[in-house]
Amino acid sequence: MVSPLLARPRVVSPVEAGPGGDGFRGTCTVAVSPDEPVFAGHYPGFPILPGVCVVQCVHEAAAMLPPAGAGRLDLAAITSTRFVGAVFPGDDITVDLAWKRGDGFWACTAKAYTDRGEAAHVRLCYTDGGAA
Amino acid sequence: MTAPIDVLAALPHRYPMLLVDRVAEVAPGRHIRALKAVTLNEPWYAASVPGSPADLAYPQVLLVESWGQAAGLLANVSFPTEPGQVMLFGSMSDVTFGRPVRPGDVIEHDARVLKSLGDTVVFEGSSRVGDDEVLGVGRMVMAMRPAAVLRPDALAGSETRS
Repeated sequence: MVSPLLARPRVVSPVEAGPGGDGFRGTCTVAVSPDEPVFAGHYPGFPILPGVCVVQCVHEAAAMLPPAGAGRLDLAAITSTRFVGAVFPGDDITVDLAWKRGDGFWACTAKAYTDRGEAAHVRLCYTDGGAA
Repeated sequence: MTAPIDVLAALPHRYPMLLVDRVAEVAPGRHIRALKAVTLNEPWYAASVPGSPADLAYPQVLLVESWGQAAGLLANVSFPTEPGQVMLFGSMSDVTFGRPVRPGDVIEHDARVLKSLGDTVVFEGSSRVGDDEVLGVGRMVMAMRPAAVLRPDALAGSETRS
């Protein structure tokens, strides 16, 4: 996957099913280095991680923690995202995500946060392309 | 209602996160049409190697960022703000993706003001490459805020810093 970030998520807790077998959950962290190229231009002299890069962290975490039984997952929609806190160079982003199966798609609901608290609430929708 | 827009003057973003190349048309307070050319020379492709063409799909979140910057340009010409303010991306919903965008594609963004409420503006729109819709944006909310509110020390309680 081509990404605006050099950092890759690290799996902290692998996907596990909740009670009832649905509601697969997992956790990743992403270490946001001050050397990430995006900081040079967002913004000069005032580095702040672009909100879409937080969404990218969730997207990459979702790719590393797919729900059991899913095929090839393609990002079809950002159902919703709300940015509630800034992310700065040197922060660690933690992504807690949960999967829910729909009819031909998977919904991923995630919270991203740093040491200072919540950074974003993100809901993504993936189509399931079958055999991965 | 077309006026030339100086992208570099109107947006604080710079390389490699300046993702609008030209404004084709703008109607302040209403609508903007802006262009973004995707090239293999962007830094996101620095680690790409010969192989699968599918791997050259432009990051979808950057397509969203590029559209958001077009909307930001529309905000800039429609609702002037004071120096020291930054445009914050507050939220979005119902953002849908079409076929992948690849190097060589020229993206045409269309953004419209859905409503404006003081320092908060709500946009909607879409993006096309040729006849293909590659992005749909149901709703994107942006807010102008003093840059100081973003600084870590401001979050700890101090809002003034030079």
